[in-house]
Amino acid sequence: MITLEFHDPSGVIAVRQPHAPRVPTLAGKRVGFVSNEQWQAYRMLPLLKQLLEADFPGIEVLPIDAFPQGNAVIGSEETAALVKQSGVDAVLIGNAA
Amino acid sequence: MTNAVAGLGLAPDAAMVTFPIAMFLPGSDISPVEARKQEFYDGLTRWRAAFAGNGASEPPMIRVQASSVEHAFARANDMMLARRFSDGLPLWPPTRERVDWILRGAAQPRRRELGAFPPRGGVTTVESCAIALAMAGGRPEYLPVLMAAVEAFLDEESGSEQLQAASGSAFPVVIVNGPLGAQIRLNAGFGCLGPDPQRPAGASIGRALRLLQQNLGGALPGVGTMANYGGMRYTNVVFAEDEANLPAGWPAHGVERHSFAPGQSSISLAFANGVTNIRRRGAKKETPEEDALQGMYRMADFMRVPNMPGLAGYEHGTPGILMLPGVVAKTMAGLGWTKASIREFLWAHSRIPADQLRRAGCPAWIEIDSKKATRESLALDPWPITASPDNFVIIVAGGGHPTNSYWLQGYSPGVVGRVIELPPSFEALIADAERDLGPCPA
Repeated sequence: MITLEFHDPSGVIAVRQPHAPRVPTLAGKRVGFVSNEQWQAYRMLPLLKQLLEADFPGIEVLPIDAFPQGNAVIGSEETAALVKQSGVDAVLIGNAA
Repeated sequence: MTNAVAGLGLAPDAAMVTFPIAMFLPGSDISPVEARKQEFYDGLTRWRAAFAGNGASEPPMIRVQASSVEHAFARANDMMLARRFSDGLPLWPPTRERVDWILRGAAQPRRRELGAFPPRGGVTTVESCAIALAMAGGRPEYLPVLMAAVEAFLDEESGSEQLQAASGSAFPVVIVNGPLGAQIRLNAGFGCLGPDPQRPAGASIGRALRLLQQNLGGALPGVGTMANYGGMRYTNVVFAEDEANLPAGWPAHGVERHSFAPGQSSISLAFANGVTNIRRRGAKKETPEEDALQGMYRMADFMRVPNMPGLAGYEHGTPGILMLPGVVAKTMAGLGWTKASIREFLWAHSRIPADQLRRAGCPAWIEIDSKKATRESLALDPWPITASPDNFVIIVAGGGHPTNSYWLQGYSPGVVGRVIELPPSFEALIADAERDLGPCPA
């Protein structure tokens, strides 16, 4: 019997930080959107905003354009800082395709 | 998306709500958003990453058993396909013995980390490069070029993080300068972008880079890379500039673009997403001057297209790489052309009139660009396809035939250079290659 042993080429990845904690409920929370303005985000994200406002009492959903928009800027440290400064409890990011 | 998340150092998982592509197209029915609104709510409230642990432990060696060597190789290849490690062509299983042999070409310790391969963030080491090169049928003397190419690829300036996943089918182009190219049998002449048993190094090095892009970077078609077509991706593009046929006074690319010392072995990495032959030579009784000028117009006219690939590197990258055969370069140099004057001509004559930009919807792409200089270029009419003539890459390479030139359409935020670092035993590796493959072709 021939045995062939070889390396797994997928290597390793290093997990260096946890995902953001989830909120227990959206009622009474402050929620923001970060949009790349691509892939019909200009239609879908406003719809989601309406749905959130209708379904959760006391929720405050920031305007879709509360933060810089577009692929070129939404991944920047500056945008991340603005999101943190806004005091939002949760953020939705869209759209990717 | 999970690749991108992992690349940020998070667990390779994300709270996502996914829909078929049709919903993301103009005029689509977006009612599924409402129908599945609970999934969005759950993503914000109940979602937990399924991935546990820090992911930093080495995966175990893979083992196959079979009744013969041939069956063992077949089983290994089947397994690499099943686990999505393969490119679909037969691979050399990266056994310890094979990888250790490849590592004879390493100038650095095997555990040295080069960075996280985007977007998945696979930890990239000297050893992981050797594993990929072993799989790609490579040899130890190729490793220094692969290492330099990987370092350049991982440089943020290259734009690899976005291009790895993007739909535009970018592939890396690695241009080698200096004496090393000929020593390791890299092709600079006839068929230099294709298969050549006389000069096989480029295919193995480029294939190894592709395997790293897939296996460490997560660029699996339709999953980790949305490249619609993925052309040139079996081997990418790895070749040497034909420095032996550079006209007097024409600097080598590494010297010109990266300020490396003449004679320094180096690589230069850019991304392209198209390759086209341009019939450069005249057909009748042109004078040498007419032949050269008509060829220049034909090349510039080909570049004057409003499909916007050059936007990615408008300021500091490249709109593309023009390959001229040595015989043409020498003739043009005799007529007074230089690499610089060729770039100036191309820049001036590839400009696109504003009305053609508008009818093709290009201003919208220019307006949303992240770079201010790119956005401001919209005021120019005719619009230059790149911010500066210096961005054109002119390379002397290809067979000794005057009819054709080649255009690698750039899709490249940067052009990144690296000096090639050699191990102390490099001369012995070249001697081994002579023994194994026969004399290096002239």
